[in-house]
Amino acid sequence: MIEKYTAHLRYYPGDPLREIRLEDLDRISKAYGVAVAFQKIDNRTLSEGMLKEETLDKTIEEITQEVITVSSDDEKRFREAVAVLYETYRAPRTPYGFWGSSRDGGRIAKAMADETGGGW
Amino acid sequence: MKILALVGSYRKNGNSDIVAKEALMGAQEAGAEVELLHLTDYKIEACQGFGLCLFRKEGCHIKDDVKFIWSRIEEADGIILSVPCYFLESTAVLKQLIDRAWVLAHRGTFRGKYASVMVPYATRGWIPYAMLQPNIFFGILGFNVIHREAFNVQGLGEAVHDEAAIEKAHRVGNELARAVREKDPTYRSEAGLCPICQDWNIRILKDRKAVECPTCGIRGVLKTRNGQIEVVFDEGTLADYRFDPVTGYNHFTYHIKPSKDYFLRTKDERKARGARYKAYLKQEG
Repeated sequence: MIEKYTAHLRYYPGDPLREIRLEDLDRISKAYGVAVAFQKIDNRTLSEGMLKEETLDKTIEEITQEVITVSSDDEKRFREAVAVLYETYRAPRTPYGFWGSSRDGGRIAKAMADETGGGW
Repeated sequence: MKILALVGSYRKNGNSDIVAKEALMGAQEAGAEVELLHLTDYKIEACQGFGLCLFRKEGCHIKDDVKFIWSRIEEADGIILSVPCYFLESTAVLKQLIDRAWVLAHRGTFRGKYASVMVPYATRGWIPYAMLQPNIFFGILGFNVIHREAFNVQGLGEAVHDEAAIEKAHRVGNELARAVREKDPTYRSEAGLCPICQDWNIRILKDRKAVECPTCGIRGVLKTRNGQIEVVFDEGTLADYRFDPVTGYNHFTYHIKPSKDYFLRTKDERKARGARYKAYLKQEG
């Protein structure tokens, strides 16, 4: 069952300010008492010396990305965890960067991206 | 070798024209063939934001003179951009051209060419964004910019009184032509705060911990040493600056193209919610 506050934070190549490491996510999960999951999708292939991918006709979920999913039933803890994730990696950068989040989780995560995470 | 001057001023024989022509004389001295275009002589329509140009082989659908301007740039090895600063930043004709350049940004059509920027202006302190549009223009087109120079001159054609300004313009053109010939992208003007665009503008991010170059998007922190403010940029972000080819490719591939899927998925909801705006202030008849 999806928790009340669940946000999928979708980072595309070049988006995270630093490498997303499982041990760091684990630390954040424990420090703020929230569930944090991580999924890495990579469909790029090396072409002309660059990692490339055709994304025009693909779905938001299947293109190359790193997805941090943070969940909690507690709004305060959820906000604290999202804030530290933004401080560490920055906020997702596109309107579809929160796709699949719960209504409340997505609303808060998106608002926080405007408030912190570098702003616009 | 060809050097093309693009003048972003409506005023013929004005200061932008004069410094551009002096620079071309300097380039000719270095053996360049030269050409000058006044951007305001051409029809440059506003970008309509369809984004279809990014996916069509033939590019933009608008019928105006922009393709001609691109063809002149394509033929040149180096560009002198002489654009005045009237109100804090470049004249609008340059911005109009920048928006239309988007299609080329992702194709790398001009990548590796050379450029020099010259900005005539009237009042010190009234030009904080004077280099912004030139930096965006050459950044998205992938040019090596080797000069960014400002010229403090005011009334129509006053530049001719300022020997130092004329000398500087001549040197800019001469050095640009030699840089093209020697394939030497070394930056010749005074260094700025940003090691990439050499501008002096810094944006404080909302967390009030980090700063970034608003043009290049590279991040760092402010420090004080011996009473002087320093910006220490994060080495990791230098390679990811906004106009790097990989950054540009990723932006196009992951921030632009997938919006199609998002657009299609949200179509019904958008239609329902958008109805009130379609109806609002609708003209009758």
